[in-house]
Amino acid sequence: MKTVECIELTKQYGKTKAINNLSFTLSENKITGLIGRNGAGKTTLLKMIAGYLRHSSGEIQVFGVNPFNSLKVSANTIFIDNGMSFSNMLTLLELLESAKRFYPNWNHDLALKLFDYFSFSPNLSHVNLSKGMKSTFNMIIGLAARCPLTIFDEPTSGMDAGTRKDFYRALLKDYIAEPRTIILSSHLIDEVEDILEEVLLIKNGEKLLHTPVEELKEFAIGIRGKTEALKEWMEKIEPIYIQEIGANISYAVIKNDRSLIELENAKAIGLEVVPVPTEDICTYLTSKTKGGIDHVFS
Amino acid sequence: MWYVGGEISLILNPDSMKPIYIQISEWLESEILNRTIDTNEKIYSQYQLAEMFNINPATAAKGINILADEKVLYKKRGLGMFVAADAKEIILIKRKNTKLNAMVTELAKEAVQLNVSEEELINMIRGMHQKIKGEEK
Amino acid sequence: MYLAEVSSWEIVKKQYRYKLRSYFGVFSSLVVIQILATFFSLNGTGMSGGSSGTFSYNVNYYSGDLILAFVMIWGFITAIIITTKAYRYDDYSFVTNRKISHFSNILFLMSASLFAGITVFLSSHLCRLLAVYVKHVDGIMMNQLTITQILKGVSATVLYIFLFVSIGYFVGMLIQVNRLFSFLIPVGFIGFLIMDGLHNDPTLLQTIALFFGSEALLTLLFVKIITVSALFYVLAILISNRMEVRS
Repeated sequence: MKTVECIELTKQYGKTKAINNLSFTLSENKITGLIGRNGAGKTTLLKMIAGYLRHSSGEIQVFGVNPFNSLKVSANTIFIDNGMSFSNMLTLLELLESAKRFYPNWNHDLALKLFDYFSFSPNLSHVNLSKGMKSTFNMIIGLAARCPLTIFDEPTSGMDAGTRKDFYRALLKDYIAEPRTIILSSHLIDEVEDILEEVLLIKNGEKLLHTPVEELKEFAIGIRGKTEALKEWMEKIEPIYIQEIGANISYAVIKNDRSLIELENAKAIGLEVVPVPTEDICTYLTSKTKGGIDHVFS
Repeated sequence: MWYVGGEISLILNPDSMKPIYIQISEWLESEILNRTIDTNEKIYSQYQLAEMFNINPATAAKGINILADEKVLYKKRGLGMFVAADAKEIILIKRKNTKLNAMVTELAKEAVQLNVSEEELINMIRGMHQKIKGEEK
Repeated sequence: MYLAEVSSWEIVKKQYRYKLRSYFGVFSSLVVIQILATFFSLNGTGMSGGSSGTFSYNVNYYSGDLILAFVMIWGFITAIIITTKAYRYDDYSFVTNRKISHFSNILFLMSASLFAGITVFLSSHLCRLLAVYVKHVDGIMMNQLTITQILKGVSATVLYIFLFVSIGYFVGMLIQVNRLFSFLIPVGFIGFLIMDGLHNDPTLLQTIALFFGSEALLTLLFVKIITVSALFYVLAILISNRMEVRS
């Protein structure tokens, strides 16, 4: 079943298109990573899915309906980011109890255990929390709500390394216990790739890739060697990224669609074929130029 | 290994070029080879593997499916995946054909680059082979 | 995972309950306002006096009018505050949609008006008591009111506060839709007053005051105020229904 479906979705602010002609489908009970640079449109897209923002053109459906102003979507979706606002008239514990009333699948036992594990004091109010603690508290709400569509927008911002690991582990365990559709946005795929099933990569509001995470890993290969040899071999190949890494040595990233013979030829003329870390694939695909920051200094 | 919430989680080699599901299937093969899981015993479910390795259950399932395709595992309806009677042989043959072959290729290449003679290389291998066999006993 | 089916009314009730607690600051500000207004009222809202050869007298009028005026302004401002982002976004941390958000707000404002109306009645009595004990007034004369009269009085007070609250809510929403209104509305209002005053016979406020203030029949007052308030709320809902949140 489709949980989220977007067809030529566009969101315009004045003349700029935050989301541009985006089409994709998220099927039920998968963990999808929404990956893109800052300003790629991740948050705008997620807020449209959550029903906070109106789309300008195209179509968006969540659980089969337009999410904007939909009670059905609101009741079955939770959107967690660091901009969540809670009244400071309620203590943290009271906030959990309020959330419990709103979400029918709410797992209060889990909420209290996580609350305890991360050593929150029940009588504090949300405004008193540090940025990392806020993220952690919001995460508890996001997990315990057990909404059929759970959206985490940059959930780990401000969290320390240990808490991040705990969060991803908790997310995975609770997902296994209660499978649901989860969208996780991040500009760092490194952190999340292991627990993802699919990756949706966006740049400037447009879709670059939507594949199973394993295919993203095999999406590109790196070629390294003498600049001239590399140039010659690459004559007819469009690189995703190319960089001179030293005197007369260059490194290029290309799509992994070369034939074995071509690769053997490359090796024969002294070029090395190396794997590219997923993180780098994302960086290269989403970067503005093919030479990265080095271009600025050359 | 690292601790999360009091539970031990196994960690895969993140630097490996191999996709995680291949690493999972290889880990399962090793479990079968060293008899941690014997023939006709039930293998870990995708969810158990997902928790053990902190990975997406779909990725774990891919790893299991590779072994099912290779007939190392067989399916009992409604019960899960079990280790086939000839699982070990299948794995050994496969490893000889692919893994060992690839390693030998690498080894030979490195030897040529380092100017190690054929004789020297074979002696090195022989020495190491005897040493490891001796340790196992 | 199965999808939860929820009814709007269920969620309105839940949001209302949540708002009673999370907007608690509204009630504390009411208390402060009333204490202030009570002290101001202690000077009396009207005074006359006289003397003859052997004695002089002072008559002070103590009434809750000033308190009511303060609380009406409080209601107006409170309603505006509730329409601001900080408050509106609180809703969206949990289940809601725009209609539910409005209806729970209106319910909350009704409760706040009711509470305010009752406390205005109480504090205007407190004011008279204080006049006796603090200002050492020699004698106090009060109308003897029957229970029905008190109830009618309180109801009318509640209705007046509610009227101001609904105007505040509408004004607040206008400002949320476009910031320009935060400037246009006061300018327009004062402008109207001045224009009105340029005629020798200012009638604008008088007409409004007469329309609501001179109604002797509680039921008719009720109908008038509820109709006008409802109009403001409907307008507020209509203009804000396409508004985005947490943008």
